[in-house]
Amino acid sequence: MSIQYKTISQLREMIDAKSISSQELVKETLKLAESLKELNCFVTMNKDEGIKKAIEVDGTNTSNSLLKGIPLAQKDLFCTEGLRTTCSSKILADFVPPYTATAVEKLENAGSITIGKTNMDEFAMGSSNETSFFGNVHNPWKKGYVPGGSSGGSAAAVAAGIIPAATGTDTGGSIRQPAAHCGITGIKPTYGRVSRWGMIAFASSLDQAGPLARSAEDCAILLNEMSGYDPKDTTCLNVENTNLLQSINQPIKGLKIGIVKEFNLGDLKAEVQIRFEESKKIYESLGAEFVEISLPSISASVPTYYSIAPAECSSNLSRFDGVRFGYRAKDTDDLNDLYIKSRSEGFGDEVKRRILIGTYALSAGYYDAYYKKAQQVRRLIKNDFEVAFRSIDLIMTPTSPGTAFAFGSKGVQNPVELYLEDLFTISSNLAGLPAISIPHGKVNGLPVGLQLIGNFLKEDLLLNAAHIFQQNSEFHLERPSMEEF
Amino acid sequence: MDQETVRTICYLARLEIDKDKAEKIENELEAIINLIGGLQAFDTENIEPLYSPLEQKAFKHEDIENSDNKKDEFLKNAAASNDDYFLVPRVVE
Amino acid sequence: MTWETVIGLETHVQLSTKTKLFSRASTTFGKSPNTNVNLIDCGLPGVLPSVNKEAFYKAIRFGMAVGSKINQTSIFDRKNYFYADLPKGYQITQMDLPIVLGGKIDIQTDSGIKTINITRAHLEEDAGKSIHDEFDGFSAIDLNRAGTPLLEIVSEPEISNAKEAVSYMKAMHQLVTFLDVSDGNMSQGSLRCDANVSIRKKGDSKLGTRTEIKNINSFKFIEKAINFEIKRQVQVLESGGNVIQETRLYDSYKDETRPMRSKEFANDYRYFPEPDLLPVVISDSEMQEIKDHFPELPKEKKARYQKEYGLAIYDAQIIASSKSMADFFDAAVQKTKNYILLSNWLIGEISAFLNKETIEINESKLSAENVAVLINRIDDQTISGKIAKSIFEEMCSSGESPDQIIETKGLKQITDDDSIEKVVDEVIANNPDQVEGYQSGKDKLLGFFVGQVMKETQGKANPQTVNKILKEKLTK
Repeated sequence: MSIQYKTISQLREMIDAKSISSQELVKETLKLAESLKELNCFVTMNKDEGIKKAIEVDGTNTSNSLLKGIPLAQKDLFCTEGLRTTCSSKILADFVPPYTATAVEKLENAGSITIGKTNMDEFAMGSSNETSFFGNVHNPWKKGYVPGGSSGGSAAAVAAGIIPAATGTDTGGSIRQPAAHCGITGIKPTYGRVSRWGMIAFASSLDQAGPLARSAEDCAILLNEMSGYDPKDTTCLNVENTNLLQSINQPIKGLKIGIVKEFNLGDLKAEVQIRFEESKKIYESLGAEFVEISLPSISASVPTYYSIAPAECSSNLSRFDGVRFGYRAKDTDDLNDLYIKSRSEGFGDEVKRRILIGTYALSAGYYDAYYKKAQQVRRLIKNDFEVAFRSIDLIMTPTSPGTAFAFGSKGVQNPVELYLEDLFTISSNLAGLPAISIPHGKVNGLPVGLQLIGNFLKEDLLLNAAHIFQQNSEFHLERPSMEEF
Repeated sequence: MDQETVRTICYLARLEIDKDKAEKIENELEAIINLIGGLQAFDTENIEPLYSPLEQKAFKHEDIENSDNKKDEFLKNAAASNDDYFLVPRVVE
Repeated sequence: MTWETVIGLETHVQLSTKTKLFSRASTTFGKSPNTNVNLIDCGLPGVLPSVNKEAFYKAIRFGMAVGSKINQTSIFDRKNYFYADLPKGYQITQMDLPIVLGGKIDIQTDSGIKTINITRAHLEEDAGKSIHDEFDGFSAIDLNRAGTPLLEIVSEPEISNAKEAVSYMKAMHQLVTFLDVSDGNMSQGSLRCDANVSIRKKGDSKLGTRTEIKNINSFKFIEKAINFEIKRQVQVLESGGNVIQETRLYDSYKDETRPMRSKEFANDYRYFPEPDLLPVVISDSEMQEIKDHFPELPKEKKARYQKEYGLAIYDAQIIASSKSMADFFDAAVQKTKNYILLSNWLIGEISAFLNKETIEINESKLSAENVAVLINRIDDQTISGKIAKSIFEEMCSSGESPDQIIETKGLKQITDDDSIEKVVDEVIANNPDQVEGYQSGKDKLLGFFVGQVMKETQGKANPQTVNKILKEKLTK
């Protein structure tokens, strides 16, 4: 029996019916991953330890977690004790952390099995997975096309049906955009919902971990386990964890959904507009109402983000200095030379670019005009959302302006071109709001995503709205042919 | 962004750019700075910066020791170390 | 030309918390290298800081004691720079919203009390330590100290000479030790300062260019370093040169300051609010809790010693001026009733011993209980004052209890009249000439007889009894 493309619920049934053991499942998954190696989804496999853990899990009857025995993959920026963690960077190519990230620990405590670490944009900086030291990841829907980024390896591995779900992180769209480009579901929770302990930081005030899966329901299963208070992360919220599966089937009649006037959807490609309009109709048929809303400062999102994120990253990445861990250049004259050579040889171009921009934005004379100004505008953006959510329940946008594109076709001459990929996604990071991307059809044979943004801590409503949509459509069930791989 | 600024920024960030790529990178940085420059169109007078989306207060931990000695694991991860220390090229103060 | 000196001090006080400012690793001094280091202190990828409550309480106590404004909401900032013993590539400190703002501290000068204004005091983490001379071609990094909480107290540039700087540091030492903010151990670096020194022509209102002497960690060096630097700047200016704004190190072997090479590049620290830490808020009830548990300061101690124990003003002042001495006294009075004798011993014999050894009482082998027992043995006439002194010497070197020393050495005082009378009779019988002399009016010879009796009893005879019996027998 093939395990490819199975959801968590399907695998759960198979395990519970004893038609497959966790050990067999993990071995099959590893075999599948090996046969689809060309996709380049994984940086490191956790073969021996994964199988060992599966045998252990098979031998225990105590846990009744939905994730017991289920194979998952972790984005390679979650620290995993004893298992190499690279951030897809040369500078961490040999780094084996002495501890495990809280989010991963929670998933593993629920009985899931980490089968490997997924490829990503270097230090999560990118929207196409083309900045990885370990090479591009192919989009399972079309060879030579990007899977999106930065959680591209996770998205491709789920879309190719190797694993039912994987972790990702989202700083400006890094879960939602690859989910959209790969035709799967991904949710970025409220900032503070999932502990950042052990998640290698890109931009501390924007980073948030979340799941990518084949359905909203599976996302809910993972998020239920991943989220929760963690005193080790003082930006982690101390709020009660609601069971996200409980309300997932609730009817959405009367749901008020906002359409953002300022996004000028009329400027998008006709096919993208058509998909969007059709999804609106589906929601209307389910009893939702659409309202036009205004987010007056929303056009500032991209410049705000590209001031704040690089500033925080320039500081966060200072610890990669070749002294206590990570790559150290050979033959250096003195300490400064060691820093400069190790960092220059260890980081890729996009990471360097962002460190330089951030250093500039924070430097004397520019701080007020760039960094502080951006944080002020950030408040304007957050205020806009606050006002909007007084009269609506959710906001709906396309996840991305277009579809996946060919390797090397965007941002090569001008990085800003690629930055505009994040137009619809980054405002929710700036405001700390939860947002989900669900597949809603294809344009020119490539999947496109629909984004729903919720108010603070409204993951339950987001998943509910996404699930009801998926109960009434079949976009999320479509699979790539995989003939090219 | 002139060459001098780029040099200063590179030094502060302890990065160097290949000579043959310098012009390209300067242009790229310039393009990003122009993008960020779009912020100036927004009126932020009397607007408090929002440094974190969570407008809450920090949790404070009690002053009670809770820590393992992981010296060996730490030193093992370093490119150069001896039994007790991380090692770097000698610094003259 | 007459020059005028302007000095501002940045004092780094290492807080006496059990754990670090942003991690729960131990701060114990002197541990084997890199063993007081956890994931956070090592600056590993993915780790996050959390704030030590006690560090805030100590900082606030300091602020309250010097009459500062306490910022009940304060935020941390990152100060970005690269250095081998700075694990994260930035130091977490407080820039725009420090916990303590303003305040004043009184210092003793030759011309009386002078008030120095405090600009601010903020919390920050210490760096690790680099060892440059032990390994060939390498500097070795020990992160044990990394993350230890520091309170950096910045004074206004109101200090006028090296002596005042020393007084300021002494006042600071007294304050932070009494407040239990720091152990004040200067040899372990718990109290150290950077001195900003500039000179200007007398009467000029504009400040001269200043240099910063880094990391001075003893009262003696503060005076020497500043005096050297003043002299150097005068020489530079008088020979027509300009003082360069720079960071300098004091070399105590050569008794000179010289520019620090590792700081030769002008830095731009790119401060920005630490996004990993939300603002730290101290509630009104926490403020009240701190007030309710406020430690006793020297002034209050002095008054209490006079009132409760009847100490003379001078004695009370001396004991109350040092935290370790006051703690010792407070512990010893629990075990003896002869407060005056205890105070006399502390100020006399014990202080002399400590001065000679240049140590604090808590670094000696003396315990409050043992000293109290010694006082009690004098008080109950088990031993004489003279014997007490030799027992004290023994206590200082061995740390043994006085009772044990008395027991093993048989030093118990002879107080019964019969035994003493017997010795007196012998002495009188053996010295007929002196007896005759005494009886013919040479009163001073009494001392001779006392001496003889003491010699016979190895000093154990009670001197009052000896005197009394001698007088009776000799005048018969």
